Amino acid sequence: MASTYVKSITGLLAAGALFFGATGASAAERVKIEWWYAISGKLGETVQQLIADFNKSQDKYEVVGTFKGNYEETMAAMVAAYRVNQQPAILQSAERGFMTMLNSGAIIPVDQLMAKQGYKVDWNDFIKPVAGFYIVNGKPAALPFNSSTPILWYNADAFKAAGFDAPSNTWQGLEKQLYALKEKKVTDCPMALAGDFQWSLIENYSAINNYPFGTKANGYAGLDTEFVYNKTGVVGQVARLKKWVDDGVLKIAGQGVAPISLYTSGTCATIINSTASHSAVEADAKFKWSAAVMPHEEGVQPKNGTIGGASLWAVKGKSEEVQAGVAAFFNYVAQPAVQEWWSKSTGYVPVTNAAYVKMKQEGYFKDHPTREIAIEQLSRGEPTDNSRGFRFGNHNQSTAILIEEMQAVWTGRKTPQEALDSSVKRGNEILRQYEKLHAGK
Amino acid sequence: MPASDAMRLSGGAATRLRFPLRRSLGLALGSSEVGLKAAHFRRPWLAAGLLAPQLLILLFFFFIPTYKALSLAFVQVDPFGGTSIFVGLDNFTTLFSSPEYRDSAILTLWFTLVQCVVTLFIAALLAFATDVVIRGRAIYKGVILLPYAIAPAISGVLWAFLFNPTVGPLAHMLHDLGYAWDPNRRPFDALLLVSVAAIWKHVCYDYIFLVAAFLAVPASVIEAAAIDGARPVRRFLTVTLPMAAPTVFFLVVMNFVYGLFETFGIIDTITHGGPAGSTNTLVYKVYQDGFRLLDLGSSAAQSVVLMAIAVLFTVLQFRAVERKVNYQV
Repeated sequence: MASTYVKSITGLLAAGALFFGATGASAAERVKIEWWYAISGKLGETVQQLIADFNKSQDKYEVVGTFKGNYEETMAAMVAAYRVNQQPAILQSAERGFMTMLNSGAIIPVDQLMAKQGYKVDWNDFIKPVAGFYIVNGKPAALPFNSSTPILWYNADAFKAAGFDAPSNTWQGLEKQLYALKEKKVTDCPMALAGDFQWSLIENYSAINNYPFGTKANGYAGLDTEFVYNKTGVVGQVARLKKWVDDGVLKIAGQGVAPISLYTSGTCATIINSTASHSAVEADAKFKWSAAVMPHEEGVQPKNGTIGGASLWAVKGKSEEVQAGVAAFFNYVAQPAVQEWWSKSTGYVPVTNAAYVKMKQEGYFKDHPTREIAIEQLSRGEPTDNSRGFRFGNHNQSTAILIEEMQAVWTGRKTPQEALDSSVKRGNEILRQYEKLHAGK
Repeated sequence: MPASDAMRLSGGAATRLRFPLRRSLGLALGSSEVGLKAAHFRRPWLAAGLLAPQLLILLFFFFIPTYKALSLAFVQVDPFGGTSIFVGLDNFTTLFSSPEYRDSAILTLWFTLVQCVVTLFIAALLAFATDVVIRGRAIYKGVILLPYAIAPAISGVLWAFLFNPTVGPLAHMLHDLGYAWDPNRRPFDALLLVSVAAIWKHVCYDYIFLVAAFLAVPASVIEAAAIDGARPVRRFLTVTLPMAAPTVFFLVVMNFVYGLFETFGIIDTITHGGPAGSTNTLVYKVYQDGFRLLDLGSSAAQSVVLMAIAVLFTVLQFRAVERKVNYQV
C-alpha cells in the first residue's frame, strides 16, 4: 500500500515537472515540430543527426525527435495520444501499419500538405518498389523515409572454412550448406532467427516465390481480402524452418539478446535480416562479413521482394505554422543529397531515383557491393499481384497472431499446417472486423 | 482492498490515539457505545477534507478508468476513435469462446496459486531461520531484502539474459548438466523462468511482514511452550504461526494481487507472454490486445472481466477466511 502511494506521489511530481518544463520552453522563438520515431541504436543516432542538420539549416522551425519504442509501441503511443489530442506533428510508421494509418482519419495525405505549403515534390522519382507500395490511386499518402528489405547476411570466413565460396541462392542449396557448417563443426549456430522473421522468411518468401498471401491482390484490390497463405508453399517453408530449429541449425535468440548481435558477434554464421543492419554490421562485425540476395525455391523464377521499413506521416490537428514546418522538414528529407547521406549512414535503400543514380555514378556500390543487394532484390522481375506488397488492415494484429502461431510450431504444440490454418482463421477475423469498421473507405 | 486491511491491522493504534486527539479534531464519542463505530466528526467539512486525498486518488485511478473500460467494452472501435460501432455483448462472447483466452485464464490461475504458495513457504522458512541466525543477522536480512530494491524491468532483463539459451551463462550450465533448457521453445521452461523470477522478487516482501509478525509473538508464550518441552520447529508451527495468522492471510491476499497484476513487468521483459502464449497471463493479454494489437474493445472487455474477478475474489476471500483468522492477538 505504502509503495502505491509513493508511486502516485512520484508520478504527480514528475507530471508537475513536465508541465512547468513545457511552459518554460515555449518561450523559445522557433516553432516546435514534434516527431515520434521508432528506430533505435545506431539508426536512432543517425535520426538525431538528421534532425540536428535540419535545425541548423534554417531558423524558423525546430524539429524535436522522440524515440517512442519499436514500431508497434510508437503506433500505440500515437493512438493513445491522438485520442486525447496530444499527438505529434510527424509520425514514423512501419509499412505494416500503412492501411491502419491510411484509413485512420488522423493524417493529412503528404501530397496535399506539400502542395498547400507550396513545395514541389517529384512523386514520380521514387524508385518503383517504394512507389508501388506508398502511392495509392496515383497519390502518395506518406513520405517514404526508411525503406529496406531483408537480405542474407553471412560470415564469409565460416563459409570458406566449410568449403563454400558463397551461400546458395536456393533454399535447398542453402539447407545443405547450413547443415554442412554444423557437421563440419565450423559453427554451432549456422543461422540466427531474426526478430521480425515473419517479414523475411514468410512474407518476403511468399512474394519472391510468387505465392499469393491473401486474395484481392494481397489486399490491394479491396478490404474484403482474405489470407490464403495456409494453402501455398509457405506451409513447406514453415516445415523446413521447424526442422532447422529442431536440428539446432536455426537458433531463436529469445528475450535479452538482439538476434543481429548473434551474427555480428560471430556466434551465428548467417541471419536473414534487414539491409538496414549495415550500420550495426559495419560497426561491430570483426570477421569477413558479406551479404547475398535472399534464396528462392529450386525451379522458381524469383520475383521482387517486398519493401519494409517506414514512412513519415503528417498528423492532423496541428496549427498552420506547425504544418508549414512539417512540410519544410519533409522537403528537406526528400532532397537527393539528404537521401544519399541517409542511405549511406544507415544501409536503408535510397528511395529516390535521383539519389540512387547519384550513388551509382559516384561508384559507391562498387566499393560497397552489399549496399546494392537490397535494391536488386526489390527490383527483380516484373512485380505481380503476389509480390507487389501487402495491404491488410490492422496488419500489426494479424502479424502478432502469426508470430504466436509460429511459436506454437517451434514448441511442437502444433504442426505447421495446424498453426498456419489457425493463423489464417484468426487473421481473417481481424480483416473482417477492420472491413466492418472501415466500410466504404 | 489492501487499504481497508491496513486499517484493520492498525485498528489498535487508532483506538489508543483517539482520546488525546478528540478535542482538536472535533471527534465525538458516543457515551453508550465504545469502539471506532461510536466516534464521529461534528464538523462534516473536516471529515470531507480528510477523506478528499484518498477519494481523489480513487476517482482518478479507479472510477474514471472503470468508466472508460466499461464504455469501451460494448463497442468495436477504430483505434483512432474515428468510428465506433455498438456491438452489445459481442466482445464478451468472442472472448469466452476463444481458446486463447481460456488458456490464458487457466495459466493465470496456476501461476498465481503456485507463486502465492511457494513465495509464502520460502519467506516463512527464511523468517523462521532469522531467529536462528545469530552471527551476521544484518547481512542475512540485507541479502534477502535486496531483490525488492531492483526494478522489475531490470531484474527481468537480467533473468532473460542469464537464462538465454544461446548466450546465457546459467543456461549453458543447465545444458552442461544435460537439461535441454530453452524457454523459447519449451513452454514449461518459460513458465518456470517467469515463476522463479516472480517469486524471487516477492519473497522479500513476504519476508519483511513475516519477520515482524513472528517478532510480535510474545516471548512469554514461546517460553511457556519451551518449558513444556516444545522444540523450535514445534513452537514455530503450533505457537508462532497461528499467532501470525492475520499477517499470513494479509500476505495471501497481497500475493494474489501481485501474481495477478504486478508480474506484468517481469513477463514483458522475460518472455513477452510467449512462446505461443504460454506465459500470457490475463493482465498481460489485456496489454497485448489493447496496446500492441490496438483491439481496444476486446481489451476493455477483458479488463472488465478481470475487475469482476478481482472484486469477486476479494469478497470471497474476506468472507471465507476472515472468520477463521484470529485478529485478537
